[in-house]
Amino acid sequence: MILFFLTSGLFLGWSLGANDASNVFGSAVGSKMVSFRKAAIIASIAVIFGAVLQGAGASDTLGKLGAVNALGGSFTLALAAALCVYLMTKFSLPVSTTQAIVGAIIGWNLFTGNRTDSATLSKIVITWISGPVLGALFAVLLYILLNKIKKNLKIHLISFESYIRTGLIVVGAFGAYSLGANNIANVMGVFVPVFNLQDLNLGLFSLSSSQQLFLLGSLAIAFGIMTYSKKVMETVGANIVELTAESALVVVLAGSLVLFIFSSTGLSDFFVKTGLPAIPMVPISSSQVIVGCVIGIGLYKGVRNINFKLLGEIALGWVATPVMSGLIAFFSLFFMKNIFGIEVGHKIAEGLKPSDSVPVIPDENMSGIIKYLLLGIVVAGLLTIVYYYLLERKKTRELKLSEEKFWKNML
Amino acid sequence: MAVFTRTTKNLILKIDEFFDNIELGLLVFREGIKSYLENDMESFSRHLQKVDTLEGNADMLQRSIENEMITHSILPQHREEVVKLIEELDEIIDSVKRSLYEINIEMPQIPSSLNKDFISLTETSTNAAEELIPAARAYFKAPYTVREKLLKVYYFEKETDKLSLNTKKRIFQNMNDIDLAHKAHLRYIIHHIENISDKAQKAADLLSAMAIKIVM
Repeated sequence: MILFFLTSGLFLGWSLGANDASNVFGSAVGSKMVSFRKAAIIASIAVIFGAVLQGAGASDTLGKLGAVNALGGSFTLALAAALCVYLMTKFSLPVSTTQAIVGAIIGWNLFTGNRTDSATLSKIVITWISGPVLGALFAVLLYILLNKIKKNLKIHLISFESYIRTGLIVVGAFGAYSLGANNIANVMGVFVPVFNLQDLNLGLFSLSSSQQLFLLGSLAIAFGIMTYSKKVMETVGANIVELTAESALVVVLAGSLVLFIFSSTGLSDFFVKTGLPAIPMVPISSSQVIVGCVIGIGLYKGVRNINFKLLGEIALGWVATPVMSGLIAFFSLFFMKNIFGIEVGHKIAEGLKPSDSVPVIPDENMSGIIKYLLLGIVVAGLLTIVYYYLLERKKTRELKLSEEKFWKNML
Repeated sequence: MAVFTRTTKNLILKIDEFFDNIELGLLVFREGIKSYLENDMESFSRHLQKVDTLEGNADMLQRSIENEMITHSILPQHREEVVKLIEELDEIIDSVKRSLYEINIEMPQIPSSLNKDFISLTETSTNAAEELIPAARAYFKAPYTVREKLLKVYYFEKETDKLSLNTKKRIFQNMNDIDLAHKAHLRYIIHHIENISDKAQKAADLLSAMAIKIVM
């Protein structure tokens, strides 16, 4: 039953993997610098690591906005967000899962009579705007730096391209890690307050309740990347890469840095220690950050035809998506409660922590599933490494043989 | 990644080796023509043999470079143009080999009064092609400098045209002691030599466009 309630979140994760992986590896795959298979494997592994190790920060912020206290409520919110993303995509409106889930949570607050924390909400909205702006700034600075290095070092074009290719893989992995860390909150954030699973001890390390959820969510994202992101990467990515391979590297690195900044509690703590204000841990739209980075480089290069329509649509999305998602969530919750009789949440009493009202779910099966999943990931990883090694060896040998055969026939 | 780095280094070495072959081929061609004009047929045969080997090497390298670039998906955005450039450069050494073979087969009777003209023509034409090689090398290391290097290619190509025109005029208008068939044969040999600079110019046009694309 628990797994059934998680399906809407897992579906949201799948769609996030299918769409947003193109933001980190689209340029590399679109330009044929990295094969899709390699990109998908790296992105999937990095997303899982990012979500499990660093997903808590952004997820906590969503919890502060509205701590959903019934499994039915979490299921409905994830479903409403997914529905909103689907509908807006169908009508060709720019949409972000991040904004959809925030709207859905506000819808839940309204439905259950809980107060929406305006400080948290304003923190989230400010981050949505500052994310692309920061991305543009980072992109310009990195672009200037990379061009200076390229001009002064006089690296051979083929070596430079090899560094760019390696860079795209490393930066893509970092981007996927940051995407997992930042955007897992969209997928599993609404389930975190309502799930209180027992810690899963795996000998070397243990996974907390939320980390187990993040692991499941990130596996859904990885599944989305593997199964459906190829087409998106090849089409969306090709548009980004018109900037040239090094610009693509800069764009992905700048975007990844922004996602990382807004999900790194360690960095935020460091800021506080040095007397600076804390960094808000907020899930942000990777697509919008990438658009910000591309526009930043465009402005620096003096491109005059900036697509203001696209900018306007993004700004419209900041308002329209949460409103639409909130409305869908509100009505869905109404139907769930009154027609299907499913508990979707209740008002949290003043002074009470949201987690206090949630019972621990001692589900042994769930722990077993997660253990087997982890084992499966390790085995699949090892098999992939061996497969790639053999493939590379075969390719080199075949090339050598064909060359030898050709010249033998010629001479 | 180690495999990839090795491939990259090998490819760079192969491209450099390819350029070396073209450069050497042009030098040997120049010496070969001089040997022929001096009637030193033994030296001419040696040069012909050398050009033949260099052309064979260049062909082998060209195929290997193309294969590696495609198999390892190297320079996907510029691959087509780089392959085309290598082909154009290979055309130059092909033309050099063809010209020496034609001379070896047809044994044209070049009047000694035209020796100087033929030597200048050969030097200027090969100079155009020789100046192309540093520009092609620069494309990979300092694309900003390619266009200035190409100026010399265009200069020598124009000079070759002038020299060729003057020599042909001299043959057809001033040398009445040789018959028309002989004149036509000499013109044919001049065309062969002149062809090297024309091919260099064609490659230079391509290289120039490639450099603009990469710098922008």
